[in-house]
Amino acid sequence: MPPTRIKLADSVYLNVIETDKFKTNFISAEFFIPLRAETAAKAALLPSVLLRGTKKYPDMASLNRQFDYLYGSYIWPRNYKLGETQVIGFSSYVLADKYALEPTPIMSELLGVMEEIVFSPVTEGGVFRADYVEGEKRNLIDRIKAQINNKNYYAVKRCRDEMCRGEAYAVSELGEIEDVQAVTPESLYEFYKWIISGTRVELYFVGSFDIGKLTEQLRDIFGRCANISAPELKTEVIRRAEKVKEVIEDQPVKQGKLSLGFRTDCTLADRDYHVFAMFRELYGGSPTSKLFVNVREKLSLCYYCSAMGEAHKGIMIVSSGIDVANKQKAQDEILRQLELTRAGEITEAELAAARNSLKNSYRELYDNADSIKSWYTSRMLVGRDDSPEDAAAAIETVTAEDIANMAKRVTLDTIYFLNGTLKPDEGSDEE
Amino acid sequence: MIESRVNVKENPAIGEKYYYVKHKSGLDIYVIPKKLSTYYAMFGTKYGSVHNKFRIKGEAEYTEVPDGIAHFLEHKMFENEDGEDTFAKFARTGASANAYTSFLCTMYLFSCTDKFYESLEILLDYVTKPYFTEQSVQKEQGIIAQEIRMGEDNPGRALFFGLMRAMYKNHNARIDIAGTVESIAKIDHHLLYKCYNTFYNLGNMALCVSGDVTPEEVIAVADKVLKPQATHEVECIEPAEDPEVNRPNFTCRMQVAKPLFAIGVKDVEISSNPYERMKKNAAMTVLENMLFGGASEFYNKLYEEGLITKSFGAWHDHNHSMSMFCVQGESDRPEEVYSRFLKYIDKQKRDGLSKDDFERCRRVMFSNFIKGFDSTSEIVNNFLGNFVFEGADMLDYAEVIRELDFEYTDKIFRSVFQDSHYALATVYPLEEAEKV
Repeated sequence: MPPTRIKLADSVYLNVIETDKFKTNFISAEFFIPLRAETAAKAALLPSVLLRGTKKYPDMASLNRQFDYLYGSYIWPRNYKLGETQVIGFSSYVLADKYALEPTPIMSELLGVMEEIVFSPVTEGGVFRADYVEGEKRNLIDRIKAQINNKNYYAVKRCRDEMCRGEAYAVSELGEIEDVQAVTPESLYEFYKWIISGTRVELYFVGSFDIGKLTEQLRDIFGRCANISAPELKTEVIRRAEKVKEVIEDQPVKQGKLSLGFRTDCTLADRDYHVFAMFRELYGGSPTSKLFVNVREKLSLCYYCSAMGEAHKGIMIVSSGIDVANKQKAQDEILRQLELTRAGEITEAELAAARNSLKNSYRELYDNADSIKSWYTSRMLVGRDDSPEDAAAAIETVTAEDIANMAKRVTLDTIYFLNGTLKPDEGSDEE
Repeated sequence: MIESRVNVKENPAIGEKYYYVKHKSGLDIYVIPKKLSTYYAMFGTKYGSVHNKFRIKGEAEYTEVPDGIAHFLEHKMFENEDGEDTFAKFARTGASANAYTSFLCTMYLFSCTDKFYESLEILLDYVTKPYFTEQSVQKEQGIIAQEIRMGEDNPGRALFFGLMRAMYKNHNARIDIAGTVESIAKIDHHLLYKCYNTFYNLGNMALCVSGDVTPEEVIAVADKVLKPQATHEVECIEPAEDPEVNRPNFTCRMQVAKPLFAIGVKDVEISSNPYERMKKNAAMTVLENMLFGGASEFYNKLYEEGLITKSFGAWHDHNHSMSMFCVQGESDRPEEVYSRFLKYIDKQKRDGLSKDDFERCRRVMFSNFIKGFDSTSEIVNNFLGNFVFEGADMLDYAEVIRELDFEYTDKIFRSVFQDSHYALATVYPLEEAEKV
């Protein structure tokens, strides 16, 4: 069942999914803006700066003490991109009132803290405290730099960035280091005022509560975000790759990482997106997919080889970790499996496996409040509200031919290879 | 004919219950009913990477095996005599299957939203039917070699095992769970069968399931698949450890943006009584948050000074085989963090821990425990790995938390945190010359 959608004010919506199966309630508040280089760094900074302190809880220690008091109901910051939309905000899992050791209205008190965080930050001369802003800038810069620590992630990100260079999608949701450095308490405060008064706001509640009361409390808190100037949210889609770009980057590591970036010619906004979901699952989505069975199990080339999609941007990245010497062999096999899919070489067992696996992953979503929120948020951006159960029903009728036709629409755009330059026995000198 | 026995245990205060089944095959089965969409099942053996020298009770000789063999065996269980791999079997029911190997156990698991009992049958069947050949062992060596290389490029893993090697002189936690490319080259199908027959005895295993299930239906599946088995006892050589750390430092250089550090606190006071271990676990959990949590003086002071980042955190491990506490994060000055850590612990010992902090953190621990019941995967993982395999009972833990007192926690704090128990592991960035 899609959430009940309640308009609290212009551009401010509350989405409610009532269920009594959890011992916790989930609440989140998210603000939507176009993903742009000018604002990404500020957007990335804002939730962290707001979590540094409020008028009532002026520093992190007092805020965290309050979360502890409310049974460890931490409010954590969100910052991610969906296509070319950046989403920032806060979420929390809140222990249901009835489990409190002594009677405490945990949920309403927690909403009070969220109100403090969003609307009553500590200020100094009418803007954010300079030391808080500087501290969070330093942290954000560290995080940007630390992306190199995780090679699996890094190789996928680099492929995506090379592929979408010049497009808004290539803008990192963390911003660039220079842009972070340029942020001042004044400019961030200016941005903050826009966020709370000029953007689309989506609230989610999953759990069991007096919904009338909750709606009123949330209207009191977030009603002040009402506006009729929230920016339009859209994503430019390049449907086909023109020619293949190839990028090789050397790094002092042992394993090579191969990432192949594709344009899929299909996005969540399209009516046949469920066919793409089936194609991706069958090609590289599970341990029975063509990539896992052939590149890993048959050729023993890797430990992992899988295909990830980005539903709004219409791209897909195949990634794998391999011996540097096997780069061409792995690449050929990955592309050969795509050719076979295009040629319709799909068995009944493969088709059933992809369908069963997808249906299972859709239905498992119902047990995770944050995943349910993500599901509907993603759909809301393209004007859909089909449920995971609807999606499970939609794939019932997808045929091998449909999948082959979908595979023909997918075009290779970018080959990225992280070339490990360390010999296997070389390495970190231990002391 | 011997029948299976069923007992039910309930904790009304938190609204949870489970059924314990002593199955006639010899297997212990735990069934935790939950009205959620996702079913979760885990079939595990008390066999992990540390068990590398063993014998079946009564055997004359101990067998010593290559590092990484428990993990290798886990991979090989996915191959079957009928030629169909385990993932393909689960694909028919739509279950999502996986497995993992830790220091102390190997776990085979699946989650699903439909056809649970069919999937359960597959799980019980493939884990009780080994099939290893020379060829298939060779094939796996290539795959696991890439898994090992991936681990070698992972700075977090280097930090963790660096810390283990600094803290422990003899304990097998020094050894990487997957072994090395060289050690796994020594594995063959004969050795795999030897390990399998020793450790995959139903008396050394347990099954735990959660979801919208009944014990009767679970027993029916077990009856169908599991043959009664003569259970045996396994003896492993687990070398003793001194209370002092092996050496106080470990450092290495890798491609990281900022140095990673981990301060390990070694503890060798491990009770043989599971209930006592549960109590100490609770005390160590509450200490994590009291000493180093988001509201702690240490975290806030160092964060404000820019000495640590949000990646900072504390964790601990306390089980029948090992006990340790760890504080880790990223810092431009790991040595300074370490020296501040020493001063901070001294000050806490001098001034005494705060009773208010204790109460606040105990409340958080209680709440986290309750929240863990919102997911069948969390329930089963916790239930089997942290309680059943430790001889303890998860539903007793709510009472352990309720009864945990300040004086006991303070006593544990003073006994665990001692100067000769500390080791500092650090992964520094590469020197300029080492970069490409």
